[in-house]
Amino acid sequence: MAYSDKVVDHYSNPRNVGTLDKSTTEVGTGLVGAPECGDVMRLQIKVNPETQVIEDAKFKTFGCGSAIASSSLATEWVKGKTVEEALTIKNTDIVKELALPPVKIHCSVLAEDAIRAAIGDWKKKNGVAETAEAAVAAK
Amino acid sequence: MLKTADNAVPVACWSCSVAKTPETLFCQHCSKIQPPLEGDFYSVFNLERKLNLDLAALEREFHRLTRKLHPDNFARATETEQAWSLADTAMVNDAYRTLKDPIRRTEYLLMLEGAQIGEEHSGKNRVDPSRVPADLLEEVFDLNMQLEEMRAARKLGETDAALEADLQTAKIKFDGLMADVDEQLKTQWGVWDQGDEATRKSAMTNMVSLIDRRNYIRNLVRDVNEALGS
Repeated sequence: MAYSDKVVDHYSNPRNVGTLDKSTTEVGTGLVGAPECGDVMRLQIKVNPETQVIEDAKFKTFGCGSAIASSSLATEWVKGKTVEEALTIKNTDIVKELALPPVKIHCSVLAEDAIRAAIGDWKKKNGVAETAEAAVAAK
Repeated sequence: MLKTADNAVPVACWSCSVAKTPETLFCQHCSKIQPPLEGDFYSVFNLERKLNLDLAALEREFHRLTRKLHPDNFARATETEQAWSLADTAMVNDAYRTLKDPIRRTEYLLMLEGAQIGEEHSGKNRVDPSRVPADLLEEVFDLNMQLEEMRAARKLGETDAALEADLQTAKIKFDGLMADVDEQLKTQWGVWDQGDEATRKSAMTNMVSLIDRRNYIRNLVRDVNEALGS
């Protein structure tokens, strides 16, 4: 199966690979997995406590090219957004941007789950009431 | 062991009109080929839905059916019969390949029994999103990180004896984890095969999570083998 140029680009030059200090209160960590293919994805966000803007985002994904590209794109997109804005990112947006084939749609779902899980973790740490949707994803 | 469903209505053979069991490739009376089966892979071999199978018997039955379905036997048959023999051959092949492999067989049975398994149930289609336990994810993530560090170091330092030893240790560990999972799966096979409805249900839940765990470990095994160049 041929990957789209955008997938290849994100896969060969992944943005924002790395680790944020998970012990600080500004950092939220989401660790999600797709048991069907054995992929694991960790996405972290660093949130400005005053403005609730996501100032930094890092990811580390063990999985296929589409999973790596999806999480790379997700970190690009959440940066500069407020946590509430970031929650509006949908997996279908990722599918469209990367032109993912149907069999790889679950990679984009994983990336959306990772964003929600990271935000959920940050909210829990900071005593922010979770929106119902994020609460489900963070479980 | 011949299986008859509760609602099995005897079906007449299209050729000799004698009643035959519905799930059969050939009429027991006139031996003529029958329309392709509507049943599952187990029904192809007249097997009950069990996980411990007699693989030698399965192979013999596979060869017997393949011989009977060989195109040479249908050279002078009607076009319909020729088409049936092709369709049957394809199904017999698929059924054999699926049932002889222990993992594919387990996944197939779980799917037949309605478990949410396979890529079509991943992501948003997953009914139970909390299926992956957090501690398993942490463990797998950490193992992947270690493995990646080792591989990166290997790329830079070429043949580092200590690193080679680390990779070997990792391989032994992952192989061990895999063997554990397979052992636990076998135990659940027994529970399934002998169980009543309630124990079967719990065996199914256990097998689904074991298969999940196995997928993660399988990737680790693959990656460590790749790093070791084997």
